[in-house]
Order: sequence, then structure tokens, then C-alpha cells
Amino acid sequence: MTKAGDWKSYQRVLLPPVKNLHHLNIYRDQGGYEALRRVLSEKSPQDVIGEMKRSGLRGRGGAGFPTGLKWSFMPPVDPDKPRYLCCNADESEPGTFKDRQLMEYNPHLLFEGILIACYAMSMRACYLYVRGEYASWITLMEQELSKAYEAKLVGENMMGTQQHMDIIIHKGAGAYICGEETSLMESLEGKRAYPRIKPPFPAQSGIWGAPTTINNVETLACAPLIMERGGGWFAGIGAEKNPGPLLYGISGHVNRPGVYEYPTGMLITDLLEIAGGMRGGKKLKALVPGGASVPVLRADMIDGVTMDIESLKESGSMLGTAGMLFLDEDTDMVAFLRRVARFYHHESCGQCTPCREGTGWMENLITRIDDGEGNLRDLDLLLDLCDQMEGRTVCALADAAAWPVRNTINRFRDDFERRCRPSSWAVNA
Amino acid sequence: MPQVIIDGKKYQFEGQPGLLQFCLDHGIELPHFCYHPSMSIPANCRQCLVDIGAPARDRASGEIQVNEDGEPVIQYFPKLQTSCSHVIADGQVIHTARTSEKVKDAQCDTLEFLLINHPLDCPICDQAGHCPLQIQAYKYGPEGSRFEFKKVHKPKKVKLGPRVVLDAERCINCTRCVRFTDEISKSGQLTIIERGVKNYPITPPGVSFDEPYSMNVIDICPVGALTSVDFRFQARIWEMASTPSITTTNAKGSNCYLWVRDNLVLRITPRDNPDVNEFWLPDEDRLTYQRFNEDRPAGPSVDQNTEQTSWDTSFQRVVDLLGHHGQNMLFIGSAYATVEDNWMLLQLAEAVGGQVAGFIPHVDIGHGDGWLRTDDRTPNGQGCERLGIPPLDLPLWRARIESGEFDAMYVLEDDPVASGLCSLESLVDMDVILHYYNTTNQTLPATRVALPAAMVAETIGTYVNESGRAQRVVPAKVIKGTNRTLMMQMGLSRADRHGTPFDRWHNESHYINCKPSWEIIPILLEKLGVRDVPKGPRKMMNHLSEANPAFLGATYEAMGLGGVQLSSMEMEVMG
Repeated sequence: MTKAGDWKSYQRVLLPPVKNLHHLNIYRDQGGYEALRRVLSEKSPQDVIGEMKRSGLRGRGGAGFPTGLKWSFMPPVDPDKPRYLCCNADESEPGTFKDRQLMEYNPHLLFEGILIACYAMSMRACYLYVRGEYASWITLMEQELSKAYEAKLVGENMMGTQQHMDIIIHKGAGAYICGEETSLMESLEGKRAYPRIKPPFPAQSGIWGAPTTINNVETLACAPLIMERGGGWFAGIGAEKNPGPLLYGISGHVNRPGVYEYPTGMLITDLLEIAGGMRGGKKLKALVPGGASVPVLRADMIDGVTMDIESLKESGSMLGTAGMLFLDEDTDMVAFLRRVARFYHHESCGQCTPCREGTGWMENLITRIDDGEGNLRDLDLLLDLCDQMEGRTVCALADAAAWPVRNTINRFRDDFERRCRPSSWAVNA
Repeated sequence: MPQVIIDGKKYQFEGQPGLLQFCLDHGIELPHFCYHPSMSIPANCRQCLVDIGAPARDRASGEIQVNEDGEPVIQYFPKLQTSCSHVIADGQVIHTARTSEKVKDAQCDTLEFLLINHPLDCPICDQAGHCPLQIQAYKYGPEGSRFEFKKVHKPKKVKLGPRVVLDAERCINCTRCVRFTDEISKSGQLTIIERGVKNYPITPPGVSFDEPYSMNVIDICPVGALTSVDFRFQARIWEMASTPSITTTNAKGSNCYLWVRDNLVLRITPRDNPDVNEFWLPDEDRLTYQRFNEDRPAGPSVDQNTEQTSWDTSFQRVVDLLGHHGQNMLFIGSAYATVEDNWMLLQLAEAVGGQVAGFIPHVDIGHGDGWLRTDDRTPNGQGCERLGIPPLDLPLWRARIESGEFDAMYVLEDDPVASGLCSLESLVDMDVILHYYNTTNQTLPATRVALPAAMVAETIGTYVNESGRAQRVVPAKVIKGTNRTLMMQMGLSRADRHGTPFDRWHNESHYINCKPSWEIIPILLEKLGVRDVPKGPRKMMNHLSEANPAFLGATYEAMGLGGVQLSSMEMEVMG
């Protein structure tokens, strides 16, 4: 028995197998917006936050912060000051594509979750910041949202109550850095998306200086389920310390890549089986378990490892966004790292010195190695650069750029050394 | 009182000071680029990293934990913190690069990063010699570079506006210039474009960086990325000597440095004075330096003849004219001249039984902006009024002069024709004595005696700005002739005391044949037989500061380099 329990009989809840669920009428036929109605009429905001805490839900955006706790950080209501919810749908980490599925197939679940969160934290508006490349799903969500407005599910006197909440969909312009919560806010305010220094945290000073809570799409989509079936039910799914349903975005050299909904705590080997095994019967070489920035795992490191925060931490990686990238035995790890480094070089916002300069330097070095021009000492220099960047910038992009470099080199050192020329520097005798 | 321990030494503090500023205030140097005391803190250069610890508290009781020796247990932040954005709290322990290898390495690493794409063109860079990046790279940076790739190339010569040029490759993206236009001058004319390592500041499309304060970004730029169109490649920083002074373009009296090489003023930059102009200077104040160098007179002239006129003959001619016209001479003071000069003019008028009618106002309504530019385009209108010299009512006095009421006129350091006080024709039958600065003076053709006067860069004296702040100036360059007061001050006034080896100010190059009015008028008074004239500007101000309540306390010692605030004039009338 794994942490995920009897996953073979698992019934999908985030993306249930209902055709055309994105239509409002079908969503309501399935009992949609009932959780919201019950919350508005029966529960106090404290009850909602209490239920969220009981559920043990941890943020699905990558950092894994307990959601109920985050909601309780909001300062007491000040009638003179607005407060905002912000939904981070600027999903741009390479290998991560799960929020997209929710927005495409079950947008009303997200809207309902947003409204529950707004009620729990006494907010009147939510900004839904979607990456601009998701153009067709933005159009779809806008259509569905206007239907929800017509049906008085959102807006003034929603659901026949005194409540008034608005959802504003905002299109990003395609920068990875906008997925960082504070730079997302800067971008939303119309400024250049440079991450802000923390403290102050968003709960004290977020969008336009007002108290703000920012959550991931998948996190908010869990809220209606928790309200409907209770925090206890939610806490009983999957891994004990990191419970709930989870969207696994599986890509790479597998037979059936895609987004799969299963409980947390699935064995990696089970997930590989679900995805149809490795393409062409090849052997697994490496796995990136949670989006491009998390440390890569060697095939021999994944035995018995389950997809939850604790287990992956133990194995030397992170859950991140559960965007799993399986790489087969033919993969050139140098070329892989070159592509990853190129991404972070391209996406560094350029605010802080170590990240602005370091990401480019790293790409230069890895490119040189990949082109067969590298020296052995370049590998040590790359590891040095990781040390010089990590933890020394305003946001975590420098960390995200350094982790894959450090771990890919450390865990596949042979692959790199084979491509390097012997050092032209004399070894000190 | 709360205290912090920095590098093992205890410091007490009040309020909530920022760590970086606190260290700088206490003589602890921390390298930094993006931080500027008057602007917001972006903490983007990551140069001022320090290791910070705080006393550990017991979770349950909230008590400070102590070790066996009774000392508080210090818990350090997991990451190094930027000192600019850190607010000090009681009991914190801070390690700078002097006591922490970790911090030392981090600061060195940041400099290595900053230098990889920064062009190493210091030998041709205007900033070299006073460049924070150069200085701090030598002090805190790595020995060499491990970077073996092509540097990132960016636009090399971008004219942002009429006065500022950008070299984007030198830029280290500290965003000081952008923050200046956003927060200080509020023009919003600069922004950062591109992303990552390609970032550089520029104007939005269709916008020219032409705001009246644009050149301040050149001073705050920590590298040579922003340079002045005017000063670019004109001089190396170590060839010039800088002298603290004030600007005389308007009535604000902004504090500045005059940068001089071989007795030529080459540029003017701001000097910090929190009571007047903080760190800033308007462009108009900077671009006036040429009038100290160009169109200067060759010497005194009598009847337009300079070549055969010595100072002695011109003095004798003035004395004759004074004796001849006496009471019927019109004396006009000057808001361009110092308090001392105007006071001497009062003495001269009194000696011949005349009166100083007033000074010519130079007011340009709407020019002021409520900050460092004023409607009044003269530096010392307030000083004149405090001496009892009123601004002249121009139409009234124009009518009186043109009616032929006066036979003669004595004008101190001004241009009555250009300022509209009188026409050149109306002066044909008058004996005009003029103290003047530049040969472009339009009254010159009508003068009987023209005496070149020393300008603010050459003299000692006091100016009173519009808010009643008395500020003194010292000579930045040498003039012809022997004036012991000026020569002694020259040896003391420069920031580097005696000037640089490249500045040949003691050779006779570019000496201007002029004298300060406070030297000219006492000579005339002596020739008129007046005794007990105070000798030298210091004694003059000592006398005024005691005898005239409008200048109470304004001695040279009290004024120092920052000036002294005089009590308001209305209060004295009431008192």
C-alpha cells in the first residue's frame, strides 16, 4: 500500500470525467456553485479558514505553503482600505502545464474557489492574472465568467445575498518573472515586473499597497471541494503531510504524456506506468519531478520515492509544481542543461546583479561544453557560480536557475566530463 | 537606549535607521551602488550584503535565550541580507566584510558579476578616478576575471536628451537615474527597457530627456554610463581642482563645486547641503560656467581705451568724476554683486554726499518652479534689500534718466542697457562708471570708466538667498594683480587644498585682469580721503554682522561652507 492508497479506484474531482464541464449549465447540473451557496448562507469566514486549515492543503504553485495558514495572515478588515485576492495563473515554468487544464476544462471550479476565498478573507475583488499565451482559454474563461455574472453568481448581490465580489481577468504579456508573486503585482499595476523586496509581504502590502493574498489556480480550485466534502475528507486523500488530489503534468520521453489527476504521494514508478512507460521501451535516465527549476533525479534515485513534499525532499529534489519530465537513456544531459540554462538566461528580469550576470555566464559555459570547447575547470566554475547566485537576490529566480545546474552537473558529472577537454591549467602538485 | 553590535563594536541608535545609512554615518564603509539616501531602496545591486543575527528568543516564553556565560544566543539570518533595505533592531549583531569571510566573499562575487559585462575602458572613461565601481572593485573585488566570453553589446552612444549621453554597455542597472526622474524630478522621462543582461535605461519612444534637472543623473550614476554632452572628454577628474561655491544663476543659491583647471572653470557640480539644494542642481546652474572663462575684459578702460589705461589712471579718473558730479551722481547697486561690494558702494555714495538709488531687478515671472529655480535670476537681491538697497522701479527710473536728470551714473556689476533701465542714447551725455564682468555688457560703449570686476569664481564674498540664508564663496581661480586676501584664500579653499599637479593655477595662464569691487571701492574711498574703511571682506562682514541687525551673526566663521540662516526682515522691523 502506498501513501496514495488505492489509486487505481481513484475518482477524479478536479477534472471529473464530465463532457463539456466548462459550460455553466453543465457545471451547475453537477452540483456546481452549491458549495459557494452553502458557504455564503451557513458559514462564517472564520469557519471557512478553519476548514481550509483542517484540510491540510498546501499551495500547488511550487512553494507548498499551507493555504489555510496563508489565508489567516490577512490583517483585520479596515473599512477604508481595499483588500485583494490574486490568482496566479501565469504558469510558465518549463514542464508545467496543469493550470491550463483546469482553466480549459473546469473554469467554474476555479471561479467558485476564488469566490469562497474572497468570502473567507472579506475581499471584494480578485485579479486573475493569466499568462498571455493562453489566449484561447482566456477567451473561454471570459465567456464563462460573463455567463456567471448574468446568472448572478458573481458581482453585485451575488446569489441573492448582500455580497458583492468581482473577478477581473488580466492578461500577462509573456514574461516568466511575472509568475513570481510580487513581480506579478508590479506587472498588474502597470509597472515593469521587477520583484519586490520582502518584507513587507503581500498580506501587509500587495496590489496597490493593499493587503493581498495570492494563490495558485489549482490551490483555489481545491477550495470548493473542501467546502463541499469537508476538510477531513481532503486530509484523508494521499500523503499525510501533503494531502489532496494533485494534477501531475507528465511530459518527456513517455508514451502517453499529459495531465493526470491522482492523489498526492503517488510512487514515481506508478506514474511512469500510468503514462504508458518509456517511449520505445528505452530505459529511464533522469527525472525532473516538479518543473525545470527543481533538482533532477537520476533513475537510480527514484525507487520508492513518492510524489509529495517530504519524500521528494528526502530524495534530494522538490515537488514543485508536479510537472514531471521523464528523460530516457539517449538523452544528452549537457544539451538538456544548456536548454534549461538558456531559459533562465532569457527570463532573468535583470534587476539583481547575480542573476542578471550569472545566468548569462552559465549559459555561455554550458554552451561551450556542449560545443565540445569546454574545459574541466568550467564545471567547477559553474558550481562556483551556483554558490555565488543562490540566496543572494530579491526573488528566487536565481535559485531556480542555480539548482538545475548544480544538481545536473553533480548527478551526471560523467556525462559532462566526457564532453570536456582536460583542463589547461596545471594541477597544483 | 537600543544598541547594535557592528563588527564587534557597540553602537547606540534612535528610531528605526536603515543599516547602510547608519554604517555610513558612523564611518563604517560598506560598498554599494544602487542605494541613494534621498531615493527609494530597490536593493538591486546586491553589493551591500552583510551577515545579520538577532538574539534568539524562547518560543514559549518570549525570553531572550542566554548561553552559559550569560551572553544572549545569537541566531543568524539564513541568508546574507542587503544592508540598505535592513532596518536595525535592538540587540542585532552585524558582520561586515571586515569580520566575516562569508560577507567578504559575497561582496567579491557580486563585483565579479558586475565586471563581466562592464567594458574595461577606464582609461578613456570620464568617470575614471571618481568611479564607485572602479574604487570598490579595487577595494572589494576579485583579483582577475574568470569570464572568457564575449561581453554583451548594447548601444554605445545614445543621446537621451540635449544634455545627457548614455553608454548602455557601462550601465550596471542600479536604476538610480530612473528613480531620480520618477521620485525626485518627477518627470518620468527615463525607464529601463529590454530584459535581463540586455537591460538599459532610456527614454520612452518620442520623448527627449530634456527636463530642467536632467544632468543630475550624471552625478548619481555610479559608473560612466551617463555623461554630459557638454563636459564629455573635456578633462580627466584628477586634472581639475574643485572648490566649494554657490551658483549665482538664481536666488536659490544652490551649493556647488567649481571644477577648475589652469584657471578655467570646466564644469559645475552640486554640493550636498540639506538646507538648500540637498544633492541636486538644475541644468541652468551648471551650464553657465563659460561666462567665467569667455568674453572677459582685458583690463580697465577710460573713454573706451583699454590699451593705455592702468588701474591707477582709471582710479584717478573715477575720483575726479566723483568729485566733479558729487550729489548729482546716480549710484546703482547690484543683486549680482556680493553683500560686501554693495555695502562698499553705500560707503562711497555717502562719502560724496549721494545715495544708492537701488538695484536693477532681474525677475522672470514664471521661470521659478518652487524647487531650485526661482523667478529672480540674481543671487543677492535679498542681500541688497537687507542693506537698505531697494529694487528699482524700472519704468520710473527710465523716465528720470532719459529726462536728463542725472549727469553721471555709477553702476555696480550690472548692465543697465541690457536690463532695460535706460537706452544707450540716453547715456551719451552722462559720465558712466561701470563695474562689469563680460565684454558682452551692452552698456560698455557709453562708459567713461569701465572697471572689470571679479566674478563669483574669483572673489570672496557673501550672498543672501531668497529665504534669507547667508552663504559665502571663496576663490576657485586666480586673477591678475596682487591681492593678498585672495591669494591666501586660494591656498586654503580648494577641496584638495593646493590643487592638483595638473592644474597650473599658479602659472599666469588665463589670468583675468579684474579686481573685486570690495578692493576697488576702498581704494577710491582712500583717494577721497575717507579713513577707517574696513579692509577685506572678512572684516567687512564682521562689522556688518554686529552693526546691522539684518546680518546678525553672519560672520565668515559662522557661515562656514553651509551658510547661516538670517532672521527674517519683517521681525526686525517689528522689533
